Amino acid sequence: MSALSARRLWLPILLALACAAAILVLSRFLGEYGVHVLNTSLYYVILAASWNVLAGFTGRFSLAHQAFAAIGAYTSGLLATRYDLPLWVTIPAAVLAAILLGFLLGRLVLRMRAVYLAIATWAFAETIHILLTAAYAITRGELGLSVPPVFSDMDPRSYLYLFTGLAVVSVLGLHAFVRSPLGYFMRAIRDDELRAQSLGVDTVAIKTLVFTVTSGVAGLAGAFYGHYVVVLSPQIADFSEMAKIIVMVVVGGFGSFVGPLIGAPPVQILSSYLAKYGEWDMVIFAVVVIGFMRFNPGGLVDLVRAGWRRVRPTRS
Amino acid sequence: MFSAELFTQSLIAGIVIGIIYALMALGITFIYSIVKMINWAMGEFYMLGSFVQYFLVVGLLGPDLWWVAALLSAAAVFLVGWLIEPVLIKPMFTGGIERRDDYATVVTIALLLLMRNLATALNGPYQRSPGTNLGTVMLGPLPESGARLAAALCALAAMVLFWVLLKKTWLGLALRASSQSRVGVQIAGVDILRLDQVAFGIGVGLAGVAGALLAPVFLVFPTNGVVTTTKGFEIIVIGGLGSIPGAVVAGILLGVAESLGAAFISSPYQNAYGFVLLLAVLLIKPSGLFGERMRHA
Repeated sequence: MSALSARRLWLPILLALACAAAILVLSRFLGEYGVHVLNTSLYYVILAASWNVLAGFTGRFSLAHQAFAAIGAYTSGLLATRYDLPLWVTIPAAVLAAILLGFLLGRLVLRMRAVYLAIATWAFAETIHILLTAAYAITRGELGLSVPPVFSDMDPRSYLYLFTGLAVVSVLGLHAFVRSPLGYFMRAIRDDELRAQSLGVDTVAIKTLVFTVTSGVAGLAGAFYGHYVVVLSPQIADFSEMAKIIVMVVVGGFGSFVGPLIGAPPVQILSSYLAKYGEWDMVIFAVVVIGFMRFNPGGLVDLVRAGWRRVRPTRS
Repeated sequence: MFSAELFTQSLIAGIVIGIIYALMALGITFIYSIVKMINWAMGEFYMLGSFVQYFLVVGLLGPDLWWVAALLSAAAVFLVGWLIEPVLIKPMFTGGIERRDDYATVVTIALLLLMRNLATALNGPYQRSPGTNLGTVMLGPLPESGARLAAALCALAAMVLFWVLLKKTWLGLALRASSQSRVGVQIAGVDILRLDQVAFGIGVGLAGVAGALLAPVFLVFPTNGVVTTTKGFEIIVIGGLGSIPGAVVAGILLGVAESLGAAFISSPYQNAYGFVLLLAVLLIKPSGLFGERMRHA
């Protein structure tokens, strides 16, 4: 193994572990609410990173990422409350449910033009939202479904270890996925699907795989998140959640692997602390997103890179 | 329990509401054919139309002049769309042909977020109703809400107007041509970017009319466009993306399907039947009822 490939293998793992250590050290200085905000930020890091693999790397927009998280949360929650199954059974079952639904939906629409996935997933997500609300005999609708927690002490600090571990594993997994040979096919599909097809890439299979995998990751994050917030409501399948994920990815850097990782926490932290001012936080984020798309589509990652390039020559 | 009377009544109610859904779908598919993008903020223009209608009826014109208010609402929404397009949508194109699809998707979703949350911040979550003086109308032996029937008739009128515009005017000719080839239209000397601006305005104007007409039926609040927009998206997949007759037929089909479903299967799930219909169409005829065979780009 050459030095370069060894570096490529170990660098992301070391970086991820360093970030995890930094988060755990930082949490020592935070109160209980601060740790809670960190936990939710890590949940959104997983959602944003996985959505970006589909939208940013493969160029196919799913507008149902929040719905797959909700499917994960409700599947695991319902299995645990109605059948008293342990969480190590219900959470894998929830991931499986998200994977299965993602695969079926992908099979139906990914043969067609790119916009079909976006339209069909929008309708799918709205339908999941409607079903969760309407089937109140099962899901308790807007009243909320109480589900068992992962840890009995309910302390956000114990969950911080869980979500940090989950985020490290998911992000490294997604990184390996994007850096594998499949990653080249994904970018080829994004840049010119017809050309990729004519060069012999089975684009439909690749797109279906990516959509299924990223939906499964959303289901995984949602399942754990459900057992953390303990009360599930159809709100987690609301489009505003999807919009938040898009905001995070665009602010961080659309189509850059690191983008969502540095975009999600500030957006989640700001919106948690601005929540008392009502809806204005989302108004501001919308304007910021439009500004980024218009004048700096690479997001924060691009700004940092540009800044780095201006600084570096003076150093060397 | 099947009764012929309930069936006929649901059928008529379904056609009436389906015509208005079709108007929404028409706006989406029209913008898609010309500007080559899905406007995800369509429901927010619907919401805007319903709010303008509410304030005109309550503050200025009174419920008897609702049709004047609806015309003004449509004009206002057209104007807003016409003004927004050059700022937000036009940068999607570089030189009129090369386009960035991800830009349009993200920007219109941001626009959705902006309009929806701005409305919630300014209005609060209250549901308003402009009220109506149109009583119940008897269609033969069957009662139908006057406001719904009036909305459907006006939606039909808007469709006829839209059809005349497309088929009988120079602008319509240019629009139809640009839906076939953006390059060809430019070679013929038409400014495609100005055409985009008008098309975007007309498309969101159709959503505005739908919002204004349905204001007394479905009430006025910041997220009132969500359900109707979702139906609009379902309709364009069912009818075939880019097909105008497809949007009309599929709109009525969806209205009837959910109305019959609500009457004979289960009414809490009324808004989910459209998705079932969408899945059925995707399984049997993926390009939609009136869709062309799949083409790339």
